[in-house]
Amino acid sequence: MITFENLTKIYRGIKAVDNLNLNIPQGTIFGFIGPNGAGKTTTIKMMVGVLRPTRGKIYINGLEIAKEPSKVKSIVGFIPDRPFLYEKLSGIEFLRFKAGLYRMKENRLNEKILDLLNLFELSDWGDELIESYSHGMKQRLIIASAMIHKPRVIIVDEPMVGLDPKGAKLVKEIFKEWANDGATVFMSTHTLALAQEVCHQIAIVDKGRIVASGTSEDLKKQAGIEGNLESIFLKITGGQYPGENV
Amino acid sequence: MRMFKLLISPRLISFKNGLKRSRSNRKIKILVLTGAGSLFWLVLFFLTYKVLMYFSSQEMIGDILARHLLGMVFLIFFSILIFSHVIIALSNLYLSDDLEIYYSSPATLTEVFLSRSFYTVFDSSWMVVVFGLPLMMAYGLVYHAGLDYYLSLIYVSFPLIIISACLGIMVIMLLVRFFPAQKASDIIMLMSVILIVILYLLFRFLRPERLVNPDAFVSIAQYLGALKTPDSPYLPNHWATDILWARLTHYAAAQVFNAILLWSTAFAMVVIDIWIAGRIYFSGFSKAQEAKRRSHTGKRMLEKIVSAVTKPFGPESASLIAKDVRTFFRDNSQWSQLLLLAALVVVYIYNFSVLPLERSPIKSIYLQNALSFLNIGLAGFVILAISARFIFPAVSSEGQAFWIVLSSPLSSRRFLWSKYFAYLLPMLILSEVLIIYTNYLLKVTPFMMALSSVTIFFLVFGIVALGIGLGAVYPNFHHENIAQVATGFGALIYMISSSVFIALVIMLEAGPVYAILSAHFKGVSITYLQWVWVVCSFIGVIFVNIFAVKSPMAAGLKALNSYEG
Repeated sequence: MITFENLTKIYRGIKAVDNLNLNIPQGTIFGFIGPNGAGKTTTIKMMVGVLRPTRGKIYINGLEIAKEPSKVKSIVGFIPDRPFLYEKLSGIEFLRFKAGLYRMKENRLNEKILDLLNLFELSDWGDELIESYSHGMKQRLIIASAMIHKPRVIIVDEPMVGLDPKGAKLVKEIFKEWANDGATVFMSTHTLALAQEVCHQIAIVDKGRIVASGTSEDLKKQAGIEGNLESIFLKITGGQYPGENV
Repeated sequence: MRMFKLLISPRLISFKNGLKRSRSNRKIKILVLTGAGSLFWLVLFFLTYKVLMYFSSQEMIGDILARHLLGMVFLIFFSILIFSHVIIALSNLYLSDDLEIYYSSPATLTEVFLSRSFYTVFDSSWMVVVFGLPLMMAYGLVYHAGLDYYLSLIYVSFPLIIISACLGIMVIMLLVRFFPAQKASDIIMLMSVILIVILYLLFRFLRPERLVNPDAFVSIAQYLGALKTPDSPYLPNHWATDILWARLTHYAAAQVFNAILLWSTAFAMVVIDIWIAGRIYFSGFSKAQEAKRRSHTGKRMLEKIVSAVTKPFGPESASLIAKDVRTFFRDNSQWSQLLLLAALVVVYIYNFSVLPLERSPIKSIYLQNALSFLNIGLAGFVILAISARFIFPAVSSEGQAFWIVLSSPLSSRRFLWSKYFAYLLPMLILSEVLIIYTNYLLKVTPFMMALSSVTIFFLVFGIVALGIGLGAVYPNFHHENIAQVATGFGALIYMISSSVFIALVIMLEAGPVYAILSAHFKGVSITYLQWVWVVCSFIGVIFVNIFAVKSPMAAGLKALNSYEG
């Protein structure tokens, strides 16, 4: 469903993403984890067509994003880490705007929008301007807007930022449901417990390169230790718990 | 004091780093803007010097006029300073994002207030000081002032700035005490726009061109009476003027008294402001953090406009245009500027209605048609002024939410052309109304009416394309306020290139139009060679128009496709 071929991005001589190769099958929740500055957001921005790769290719559903951007984007839902939105639109107007961009037909659109607002507990705020929303509410609205066109691939950058425990639980359940329905979820996160709980496969990326990948069991073998994802991550990326050497 | 220094340090360090680490294209922008600013500075100095030299050559009334001018200058400076402090204090004291850091720090309320007021004084007054200097220097030069005059400029302007700052900050603290900061911002925006429009219209309708007509004034007394400024000995600008005039004319009276008045008022105002801040500043700030509920008034009207505007477009473009229309009407800083531009249009049309064509020594029919031809250019520039404010920033208006468009299936081409067509129709209607109505006032020939209507029709295609295209070439998605985009480097390039485009079309048409009109009025037919010239010129106009549409849109598309946000 998602394939990277030698994907590379160079910013002013620095390799932010270095020759990534990946193949993610349909229906997978894929965790993309790594320390700050590892190249996670850069990779995601290339996947959604916001950045262009310096070298290499990205295929989604067999289509290359560089060659057929509109076709690829129409089956992708993107949830960015920072909720920049059109502050002067109301929640409902924003969802209608997104539906228009994805060429959705008018029939039952209102119903669908109300369902999404209900699902994300925003129905009381649907008519209010986004500028009056809290950070968490904006994040929930973005997730709702990413679902409006029933995407087959969901690309998420730090999904839990700003969400309360109830919202976070809801999002986890939704991701699992999507994957069960055959959608592929590509998720970058620092919340290792979330990755361990919901991801079928995980790649650990450091300095732009994939340093380990596979299921949680595969990663344990590669790291050569038993334990949770956090200790595997720290072992592989060369990090340590504070005070570990003391 | 240590805390105060610490609180103002982020801005100083950011400014220093911005200069030190700026990239080469930013350096070029700084150089261009500094160059333009210096040129403006020199022109201001030269003009003031010329005016003062002219005054000094006038016996008896020369000095009176110069004194009046100085008083007027200080009155204007003082008013501008108060006004800009009101506007800037609102964002610096209540709305800035970094205020949270200040309030959550162990700094006292007075320290926070004083550090933010320091920013406000600097932001509001640097431009007035920089552009006031050439005027004051011209006075010094003409009146052969000594060093004491230039030193007195410092001790006069400093308390004057402090008094205006304290007044401005006091007004905003009281406003925010009764209205939430967001609402206060809307009120100030609307008030300021209405004030500017009224002043502008009043100035125009007073018809200052009559001042050059000697018949208009019976005596010097009447002339001086007309010049009289609304000055009062109770105003600080009056004390400042008195001190400087005394220095210029070496007349020592009341200088010390006026200086004491200025400084003691400044000190008293600072104390009063700190006292008021201690009582109401925090509660106002706290209120500013509360979410604003939406007013439902005018919602139905807006929906009608949206559905009418988006009707001819497909779903993607319609979504984009609907979003732009809603954002435009809900952002007061946007639609309130329509008032300013409406005033510009009213004055433009009014100018034509008061043209004294019948008193002209040139035969009226020639003049009417010549004016009508020039009017194509004038209307073009009016359209350009409006476009620079609304069309050039159209791409940048997506702001930090541009990721939504970039990650959607909407292609850059469709995005750009949707913006283009959304602005094209209203601009076409406006330009045709302008040109047809002003031509009607001029009573031009049917040929000129047709030529102007057709020319402006095609000019608008180019002006809008240049705005959208260059707006995409020079986007600013990280602006705090969309009005900033219209004052940037890209906007300057847009103004220059569009002016060249309008001038080129006018120049290409000027010769053939003259030939046709001359032949018409002389009752002779146009020669074969003239016909060739006419046809070639109009083909040239068509090519220039095609180029003005195609090339900026292609450049904009290329820039958008290679944009990496």
